[in-house]
Amino acid sequence: MPPAISISGVTKRYGSIVAVDGVDLEIEAGQVYALLGPNGAGKTTLVEILEGYRDRDAGEVSVLGFDPQRQRGELNRRVGIVLQHSTPMEGLTPREMLNFTARLYDHPMDTDEVLELVGLTEHADRRGSKLSGGQKRRLDLATSVIGNPDLIFLDEPTTGFDATARRQAWEVVRGLTERGATVILTTHYLDEAEHLAQQIGLIKDGRIIFEGDITALRREMETDTRISWQPPSGFDPADLPDEWKEVSIGADGRLSLPTQTPTVHLARLIEWSRNRGMEEIPELQVERPDLEEMYLELVDDSEALETADQS
Amino acid sequence: MNATNATNVLRTVRLGFFYMVLNLKTIYRQPAALFFVVAFPIMFLVIFSSLLTFEIGIPEEAGANVPAIKFSQYFVAGIMGVAIFGTSFNLLGTSLAIQQFDGTLKQLAATPLPKASFFIGLVGTALTYTVLQLVIMLILGVAAYGIELPDAHGWLTLIWIVLLGVPAGCVLGIAITKIIPSANAAPAIIQAPFLFLQFISGVFFTLASVPTWLQWVAGVFPLRWVAQGLRSVFLPDVYKFAEPGMNWQLELAAIVLAVWIVAGLGLSVLTFKWDRSG
Repeated sequence: MPPAISISGVTKRYGSIVAVDGVDLEIEAGQVYALLGPNGAGKTTLVEILEGYRDRDAGEVSVLGFDPQRQRGELNRRVGIVLQHSTPMEGLTPREMLNFTARLYDHPMDTDEVLELVGLTEHADRRGSKLSGGQKRRLDLATSVIGNPDLIFLDEPTTGFDATARRQAWEVVRGLTERGATVILTTHYLDEAEHLAQQIGLIKDGRIIFEGDITALRREMETDTRISWQPPSGFDPADLPDEWKEVSIGADGRLSLPTQTPTVHLARLIEWSRNRGMEEIPELQVERPDLEEMYLELVDDSEALETADQS
Repeated sequence: MNATNATNVLRTVRLGFFYMVLNLKTIYRQPAALFFVVAFPIMFLVIFSSLLTFEIGIPEEAGANVPAIKFSQYFVAGIMGVAIFGTSFNLLGTSLAIQQFDGTLKQLAATPLPKASFFIGLVGTALTYTVLQLVIMLILGVAAYGIELPDAHGWLTLIWIVLLGVPAGCVLGIAITKIIPSANAAPAIIQAPFLFLQFISGVFFTLASVPTWLQWVAGVFPLRWVAQGLRSVFLPDVYKFAEPGMNWQLELAAIVLAVWIVAGLGLSVLTFKWDRSG
């Protein structure tokens, strides 16, 4: 089967800012692919180029065999899109909205079936203005699948949800993916990518910095254990052995060494300290950060930290 | 090939119809739009026709035995012009601008709804509400204010004025969204030219009372021609001597409106922005 999405060298600039920087991607049909990264990493820009909302400055793009920039009409017949912000439709009910949308497609799903799928059956005839945020979001999901698309884009489908609402939304997304469509999910929640995606592309500063499944991402991120300690006053960084080039110095002067062989390095550290007359290493810590922490460090972004607080 | 084209045209029209129905419902459920745009001109007709019961005429030099007419007979032509522009230019322009900013159109652009169907739906919506308003006005006018219905020729003129005037107003409504910087600014920015055009287009005051240069300004826009065409429908034929050029200028009206629709619609459709939310 040809890939659902195949792009190379895709670049988008806004003035001097490079939002998407030469991205290559190949996404297999039938899988859930998560574009994971902090806000401002270029996720939405990249996805909007794939959806046809934005024109790229450079690169090749093929989505289901179409170029979204030139063949958007054809592409729209086979794609469903959930945008980052819910569509306001105060005067209309979910059933009316879905019935209308269904008519735009060649082989739509049944409205009642879709309402059931997203759990809106009970609210099907309630005006949009009376729906809660979570219900509106589920309606967005319903609208994106009613046309029976081969490819679904979900742009941050659970941002702003509480924990329960997120779990419910994940159930809905899982239900959608069981239908066999390819799903491109953008998210800044690591656990969301972990729960839903078979493949993850980690995006930062407009570049894909990692690609693989969650196990590979875990391996990639969990490789490093951290040895950290407080050096004596008057410490000179030049005094460190060459093999500890990766040591970082915190704001409080604390030294921190990421390593895959903590035992070896710990022995060296003890020896190094003894040589400098320290029997006891002040505030010594050997720790293995959890996945979320590693992710936050990787993307190193205040937005992501905020996200971690919410979850 | 022809069969495919025919199928495509049918599909475009059919989807345009569905979009129109959706739009009609949305507006029907917005009390503010329904009141200010749809009910307002009708209220104006009722108030003015009730308060101003005198008769008007035109100077004798136009000819002998010029019949005097009720004020309401004169006023109904102007207020129908306002109604036509209210539902096309005002309502369409405002709701489009708001939908450009709140993401409604962005979501719509993700669907296979053809652009042509979208615009068919918009014009169809304006046309439906306009016809509804005009019918109510005619019934009220005849029943309560002694307005005389046009003759067969007048009916024909009324029909083509509506069929050309509404799309021309829609074009203007689509075009003005380009200069609207935010959803909040939409109603104010659209009201200003709408009021201005009403005053200079011979809707409330006769065209002859408008300074010549302003008449030229009004002549560029559709409302002046719609209003003049409507006067030809509701006023006795001899009243054409009070018009510029002593003529109803219907041919010119048709040409100006057609140019607005063809050139304007083409241009607005090509440069229309679905999404200004980001």
